[in-house]
Amino acid sequence: MRHGSRGRLVGFAYLAPALLFVLAFTAYPLVQMAWMSLHDWSLITPPTFVGLANYERAFADSQFWVSVRFTLLYTVLITPCLIIGGYLLALLTARNTVLRRVTRTVVFVPVVIGLGVSSLLWYWLFSADFGLVNRALLDLGVIDKPVLWLGVDAGVSSVAISASVIWKVIGFGMILFVAAIQAVPSEVIEAALVDGVSHRQRITRVILPLTMRTVLLVTLLSVIGSLLAFDQFYIMTAGQPGNETATSVFYIYLNSFPYLKLGYGAALSMILAVTILVFTVIQLFLTRRSHQ
Amino acid sequence: MRTHPRWAVQAVAAALLFAVAACGQQEPPPSTSSAAQPATTSCASKGGLTMWERSGGNKEMVDMLVAAWNAKNPDCKVNLTYIPHTEMVGKIAQGVASGDVPDLMGMDLIYAPQFEKAQQLVDITAATKDWAELKTASKGHMTVATYQDHLFGVPLYADVSALFYNKDLFAKAGLDPEKPPTTLAELRADADKITALGGGIKGYYLPGNCAGCNIFTVGPLMWASGATIEAKGPGDEPLVGDGVKQVLQFTRDMVKSGNVPEGARTENGETFHLQFGSGKVGMMGTGNFNITLAREQNPGMKFGITLLPGMAPNSSASFIGGDLVVIPKGSKRVNDAVNFMKFLLSDQTQVEVYAKALNLTTRSDMADNKYFKAEPLVGDVAKALTVGRTPYSTTFFEQINSPQGPWLKMLQRAYYSDDDLDTVIADAKKEMKAIAGRS
Repeated sequence: MRHGSRGRLVGFAYLAPALLFVLAFTAYPLVQMAWMSLHDWSLITPPTFVGLANYERAFADSQFWVSVRFTLLYTVLITPCLIIGGYLLALLTARNTVLRRVTRTVVFVPVVIGLGVSSLLWYWLFSADFGLVNRALLDLGVIDKPVLWLGVDAGVSSVAISASVIWKVIGFGMILFVAAIQAVPSEVIEAALVDGVSHRQRITRVILPLTMRTVLLVTLLSVIGSLLAFDQFYIMTAGQPGNETATSVFYIYLNSFPYLKLGYGAALSMILAVTILVFTVIQLFLTRRSHQ
Repeated sequence: MRTHPRWAVQAVAAALLFAVAACGQQEPPPSTSSAAQPATTSCASKGGLTMWERSGGNKEMVDMLVAAWNAKNPDCKVNLTYIPHTEMVGKIAQGVASGDVPDLMGMDLIYAPQFEKAQQLVDITAATKDWAELKTASKGHMTVATYQDHLFGVPLYADVSALFYNKDLFAKAGLDPEKPPTTLAELRADADKITALGGGIKGYYLPGNCAGCNIFTVGPLMWASGATIEAKGPGDEPLVGDGVKQVLQFTRDMVKSGNVPEGARTENGETFHLQFGSGKVGMMGTGNFNITLAREQNPGMKFGITLLPGMAPNSSASFIGGDLVVIPKGSKRVNDAVNFMKFLLSDQTQVEVYAKALNLTTRSDMADNKYFKAEPLVGDVAKALTVGRTPYSTTFFEQINSPQGPWLKMLQRAYYSDDDLDTVIADAKKEMKAIAGRS
């Protein structure tokens, strides 16, 4: 009995640093956010308890739901591009030759740039008056007048922003896929070759099933990242045209800080957090099933 | 099998409860005021002063002001910290909430009413009641620095809007480069002639995706035409006067007649300051900051500056922006902060620091100085200080400056749609009133 208690104590001591970290940086902020969401608080005035009024307002706030819908659409648009594109790049560069290593490096380099910096870079590249994208397309004769890439048409803006984000983050998925593909046992590949599988069958019947856990992991990361999209839209379109490209986090930011409505921003954040939690649980469930 | 010791779970629960309890223990802020002690332009006590200022295009000037104070007061130097512009309001609010505030700070003047109403700034009414300098201090700054007849700050620097016009394009279009437009009708006529030059030259520029740029440059067209824009508070009527519709019609006609570059529709403020200096725009509402920029960008270009006109002849207005110097509640050096304010407004600083570096003086009577006489463009733009104003609202950002706010929505519908303008104005009015009503 005493040994059992001591064992638990030692076990808990090992866990303590991580537990403290989680308490300080996850549990406490989460609890504080929940508390804030029940108050009317501008940060510069004392908070006033308003119960669920912020949630009632959020559910009736059409602009918030427009931003949620747009965020989901953006997620649906960009996630397959990142997964399929990243996987194809990984298949092309998985073998360790000099050229493939260089290619992997080139594709991965944008990952280390901050998203804000990358968004600013692409804002200038897409600029109607000063941008290189329009200049190149005009010089090549592809277009006869500059395209208004950002902030005029929601569809065109989404495509332009997605292109910038794909350039920025596709290398991350590629590297994870390369690691997974390289981890596929060579005996399995050789056995498949002995059985006479084609190149396509080797990828779809052997490599893809054996790397499915990584595919699901990258999908999970991509979905969460897309649901939390902020920098690129804040910098490149500021939600325009007509607030059609305002993401949920952008709307939460506007309410929380420039408008100084921290309580309302917290309520919106709670709703977004629950939405992300649902997606995460579904994907973890799928991951577990694929593992079984 | 038990995987978690009960006491550990209890400890976690207790910690969470403690966190909740701690969150709830926020005390209301007491109101504060400065001691009524005669101010000087020197420090009253020794030791460094801490100051926050937002980063941005005026950094060089603020650095010069602080350097001038530090040279005069080596025993109580100002230690300046720049906060990224977009984080400034949140940072101040966090500082106020946590009590970690500087001794004084620069504040984007449009946010001042919000902080004054929340009693987060030190009242300097008594300390400044005999200051003659305040009589000529920038009206726009003084309006927003005053709340319920109490003063909470003085101007740190001013950005004013005016109409910049390209004299080279005027001459090419057969217009007199020394006769800029004095009404919106003349502005339209001149723009038509400049646009007719072709080759990508356009007569006018309207930033289509930038709320702040538009209140800075289109707002004055409405003021000059006798209109008001923002709702000052609950129950106040926004967008009053025929000037609102007249200016919206003017801008719509400008866009539809091809006088505005198509790319302007995507302008979110990022390239706004580069448009006039490109040499491809005949006239444009912009700010005093554009004098130096345009010269650097296009050294050979000749240009002039006049006041932004309204519908009637000789009507004009300007948006006065910039920063105030304020003292946050909790400052430990209120008297020295007041002395720093006195120093900023002194004749010596106005002429030998602001004007010498060709920055606008923050007192209108100081605009008549030897440096501006040698540089007429700065003198021309300084005239805006006498006709300028600054919107006053505790919800300015939400009503006007926000990319999702009713002001920008209204302008975009006017510029790029065929919606009935009365409906466009009515929709914006309704939204602005709702925002002001929630304040």
